[in-house]
Parts: sequence; structure tokens; C-alpha cells
Amino acid sequence: MKDLVTPPQMPLRPTGTVMRLARMGAMFPTRLSFLRTLLRRLARERVEVVRPVWSICAQGYGHAVYTLSLGGHRYSLVAVATALPEAARTDRVIAEAWDTAYVLYDGVPDAGEIARICATAPRQEAARFTERDLVLSRANKSVRLFDHVVGSLRAGRQPDPAEVQKTGYLMRTTAVYGNGKFGIADRAAIAARPGLSGPFMAEMLTVWLIRHFTHDLAEHMGGGTLDPAIKRHLGIGNATGLGMAPFLVTHPVLLNNWMAARETALARVRAVPALEAEQVAQLTALATRAAGHLAEWQVPDTAHQARIDQLRSAWAGVASRITPEMCAAPRPLDRLFRAAATGGPDLEELTVALLLEPFGALVDDLAEGMADPFDPPPEQTTHTDKLRARLETAFAWALGRDYDTPEHCRRFWYVSAAKQEPRLGDRFAEPGAALESPLDVARRVAALHAALPDKRTPVLEFLDAHPEHLFAVERVEMAAAYPYAEIRDNLIAADCLPIDLLRCKLSFFGAAKFDPKSDLWTRITLFQGAPLAEEVATRRDHGWLPVLQA
Amino acid sequence: MSWSRAEVQALATRAARGAGAPAAQAVHFGRAAALHLARGRPASEVSQALAALPEGPVLRLPLALQRLRRAGGGDEIDTGGLPDLARSYVETLGMPLTIREVSPDALIVSPTKTAPLPDPGRITGCEALIAEMTELAAHTLVPESDVSRQAGAGAGVTDTD
Repeated sequence: MKDLVTPPQMPLRPTGTVMRLARMGAMFPTRLSFLRTLLRRLARERVEVVRPVWSICAQGYGHAVYTLSLGGHRYSLVAVATALPEAARTDRVIAEAWDTAYVLYDGVPDAGEIARICATAPRQEAARFTERDLVLSRANKSVRLFDHVVGSLRAGRQPDPAEVQKTGYLMRTTAVYGNGKFGIADRAAIAARPGLSGPFMAEMLTVWLIRHFTHDLAEHMGGGTLDPAIKRHLGIGNATGLGMAPFLVTHPVLLNNWMAARETALARVRAVPALEAEQVAQLTALATRAAGHLAEWQVPDTAHQARIDQLRSAWAGVASRITPEMCAAPRPLDRLFRAAATGGPDLEELTVALLLEPFGALVDDLAEGMADPFDPPPEQTTHTDKLRARLETAFAWALGRDYDTPEHCRRFWYVSAAKQEPRLGDRFAEPGAALESPLDVARRVAALHAALPDKRTPVLEFLDAHPEHLFAVERVEMAAAYPYAEIRDNLIAADCLPIDLLRCKLSFFGAAKFDPKSDLWTRITLFQGAPLAEEVATRRDHGWLPVLQA
Repeated sequence: MSWSRAEVQALATRAARGAGAPAAQAVHFGRAAALHLARGRPASEVSQALAALPEGPVLRLPLALQRLRRAGGGDEIDTGGLPDLARSYVETLGMPLTIREVSPDALIVSPTKTAPLPDPGRITGCEALIAEMTELAAHTLVPESDVSRQAGAGAGVTDTD
């Protein structure tokens, strides 16, 4: 019978600390990240991946099908590889052709369904899909590394570990579409299924299988077998731009649940009264591994590289604190956390990820609360005086600035007519601000505050006269029930960095090796160091901040 | 052809914004319209609601839901002449409610112990409405320009790393 006793915990970190963009832009993957939750499930069920179809020519074009059983259901990845002219290769949403395309299929496709997917998947957004198609994706080769790996295998040798380490993946996904896009199945169709009920589980399963396909493709074209350690270090890249950023604003309950789970996990481990020798050894090993990972993490962007360099140096200080003496003191993890918290967001957030890692028994259950079930709606306010009080408590951070000044409103979020690519404009230099997407929560709440009448008035009467404030009223009412729902920064400020939003969401996916290409998009790596398909049932190390050991 | 509820919801939300609805009302409309169409209710009511923007049921019905929730689930709803769409709005609350149409302009809603209707499936047979909503949704898109293209995420890099 499941133990229903809630573990002791320290106070949660304040929302005013956690929900700042700069902090969110310093997050690292943890064992609560979605791909880790998936890997635990795959391991628990001892999932076996089989490849009933492999119809790929020597040049690497054709299709393949992989199937597995999870939670009592069969799923298949249909992978389609096509020739891509060099000039057409781009990671942007506005691309129209890719090296490979994928569908995660509900069940095992017959020949007719495979033919349908082979015809439609390479067209991506230009095609229509069915309720049997659960996830749609595509990926481009990392040409340099792919060619190096295939060339090495053809020459009868293993790839150069330095090259593998430098890129870390054979292909990069440039979109992973779920929840009904272009006619694929609604998330509601799978939300209750064991193994896929957590957030983005179907998408993570797809990406894990895509990684498997990229390994098979390289081995097929190279005519050789990759060393397992090298193969394990070949994850899947991803290029992520602004399309991902609005999600955190438009799904506030989900954001709250993700953040609350992570913060509760931290509060639980900080309350651990004492450590066992095995836990100390594990922490030490993980801290050493993290140092190795930081050493491997090299990016071209000089500002980000400077952050990494600083973190490397500071991390040595954290690692050196994990001593038998420290661990013998009361609440040793809380001490370690508090020491790291003085070193800035990067150091603190990496420490958070480290502290959770050895304590699965204490925190893994929190992953079950990270989806967005039909929670009761937040309590409504009856009169404007109560609404004002709530607003001034929960949104104090949004008040007191003039949103008409360029520094506080320079940016505007919009969707381009070009393939509906989300973009960020300069209100004072570009047209289109009249079609701005409603991500300006701070400005809208401040406008509501200014519009509230001095006289106590029923909220409904106020909204009857001012329907444009319903958006802000709902955000304020949500704040009491969902304290981590709101990003506490002005997303239209001149100094807003969308890259911070991306890193927050991607860290929840389980991404590492963030490689920002601008303030607007980043490359990352998923499943690097994760178990391969043939070892998912047996390998205990699921690849937190991996280091190549070839 | 069939559509997922999620894509119709997103499209209806953008269509309402394109037709002049405020942000929150557009979101409520998107939810209600997708549920409405998935239950096979008349597409014409969705179309009429969009045509009435920037006034009309799309603005009023979210406030009616607010009123209904404050009243604990028991209230009379002014449907604005769109009783099925108003019913769909009420059903988006996911609350156990009994809904009775007393006239084309009024629904009586009361709490019940009966579970809400099961989640409906996909949406079919509303090609004309989808086309209409697509056209309205296009009003929310910013036309492409060289400047915006160069400012887009991912611009200006070599992708063959």
C-alpha cells in the first residue's frame, strides 16, 4: 500500500525569488524533468523496442517503423528520411523541407497507414493528419557530425570522441507537435493512459525513439556498430525559438504545477535530517560529474560562455563542501543549499538539480502532480475592494512603472503571416503592434489596477462596463490558488530576454547543453547520456548532466 | 475531413480576436466553440457570434459564466439568441449542472449530482465555418517583411553544424 504520509519539508522558496525571468533562465534539468519521468516509466515496464520495418537505402533514404508497448498500449514511431538540398536546410519554423520526418502512431500501422504517413509526414504543417497520429516531428542532420560518424564507421573505426562531445547529437528536431496540431490526436485522447498522462510524455517518447532511429541510420550508412558509450552520448539536438515562449504565459496552471513540484521537491530534500554514507558518496560522484559536464559545455556565444566559466569556478566551491564533516551536521542538504544560494542563480539552480538527484524515493511522486487536470477554478472575488487587495498582494511587482515609456513597452509579441512564426518586434521601429499577442500580463494587470473604482463595486458590474479587463481579473483571481502561475517580470520591457523563458521550459523537458544563438532562440540537447533502447530496462544511470567516457 | 478539438479551439480563439474580441473573451469563445462543434451543435451559432463582434454573446457569455459560478451553479443565462452556444459555454465549466432551455434567449442552469457529459471526440462537417474562422484569424497575423524576417528567431545562422 502506498505511503500517504507527506514527508517533512522546509519552507518553499518565495515566488518572488523563483518566478523571476533571470532565475528561470538559469534552470537545469532535474529528475523531475519530463524525459526522466518517461525513462523511469520505460525502465519500470521493461519496455522493449522492436523494428518491424526497415526500408532504408544505402544513401540513408526511406522509412522505418519502431514499436513498443507502454501502459498496456502499443505505439509506433514511423520515421521517414528524404534527400534535402543543402540550400533548403534551416531550423526555422519557416522551413519547408527537412532531412527526416516522424509520426508517433497510436498502435501498429499497416502498410496503408505507413504509406499515408510516408506521404504526409515530410510535408509537416502543409499536410493533414488523423487521430491515430499522436505526435508529428521533423529533424535535420548535424551534417558535420553525421558525416564524421558515418565516415568513421565506413573506415572501420569509431568516431572521434572529441567530435561527438562537441556536438552531442546526430540530428536536431526543429518542431515536435502534439495536442491536435494539424489534425493529430488531441491530448485528451491519451491523457488518461498509463505512461502518457504526464505533461509532454508522448512528445518525449517520440524524441527518445527518434534518437534511436538516428543511431540506426548512422550505423546502417556506415556499415558498422557504434561503441555503446559513444552511442549513449549521442542525444537529440533541438532548435527552439519563440514559439515555445508564450506557452508558459498561456498555461499558467501548468506552469504553477511544474514549478510547485520542483520547489516542493527542494523543500523536502532540504529537510532531510542526516545522510547515509551511500548518499554522501552519490552526491560526491554527481558533483564531480556535473563539473565534468560543465567542462564539456562550450558555446560560441561569449556572454553565455562567460556564465558557464564562472559557474565552473564556483561549482568547485560547492563540490568541495560535500565532505563527511558537512554531511554529519544536521540538515546537511539545507546547509549546502544555503551556501550555494549566495553564489547567484546559476550556482543555486545547479545545486537544486544536484540535491534532487539522489533522492528519488523522496521526490519522484511529485511528478504525478505536474499535469494540468481539471482543478477547481480559483475562488472569485465579489467586489472590487477585495480584487484590489488581491492584486496589490500578488502583483505588486507589476505596479509602479509607466508602461508607456519605451523601456517598459518596447517589445511586442506577435505572430507573423509567414507560416505563423511567433516573433518579437520593436514597437517603436516596426509595424504590427496593433496585432500584439496578449503576453503583456504585467501591463494589463497594472491597467486593471488603475481602472478599479474607488467605490466598492461588484466585480461583475465593473466588468460589464469594462469587459477588456476580464483577462487581468482572471489572472488576479488565479494568483491565490496558483502561486507559481505568473512570471514576475514585464515581458514587453526593452530588456526582456525571451531566452530565459525557453530555458525554463526546456529544463522541465530535461534539456541540457543550452547553446543560445541569440536572445530569441537556442539549441539544446535531449537524452544525451540516457539509456539506449536495448538497455532501458537495466541501466540505472539515466544520464543527468552526462560526461562522455569513451 | 476531421479536426482535432485543440486546433479548432486555437483557431476559434484567433478568429474571435481577429473579429475584435478582447483576449480573455476570445479564449472563452475558443473553448466553447470547440466543445460546441465537437458535440455536433449548429455551426451557424458560432458564425453568428463571430459576426456580432465586437459586441454580442462573445462578450456577454463569459460574464454570464462568472455570474453563474458566483451563484454556485444556479442562474438564468441570457443566451443572446444562441441557446446551443450558450449551453456549450456553460459546459466548458466542467461542473455537474442541469441546463434547461426555456426560450431561445434563456437557459435555466441548476446544480445537479449528475456527472457532466463525457468528453466528445473530433470535429467534422464544418468546412465553411473553418474557412470563415481562418479568414478572421488571419486578421491577427502581422504581414511578413524583410525586417521582421531578419528579426525572427533563428535568422542569420548556418544550420549545418
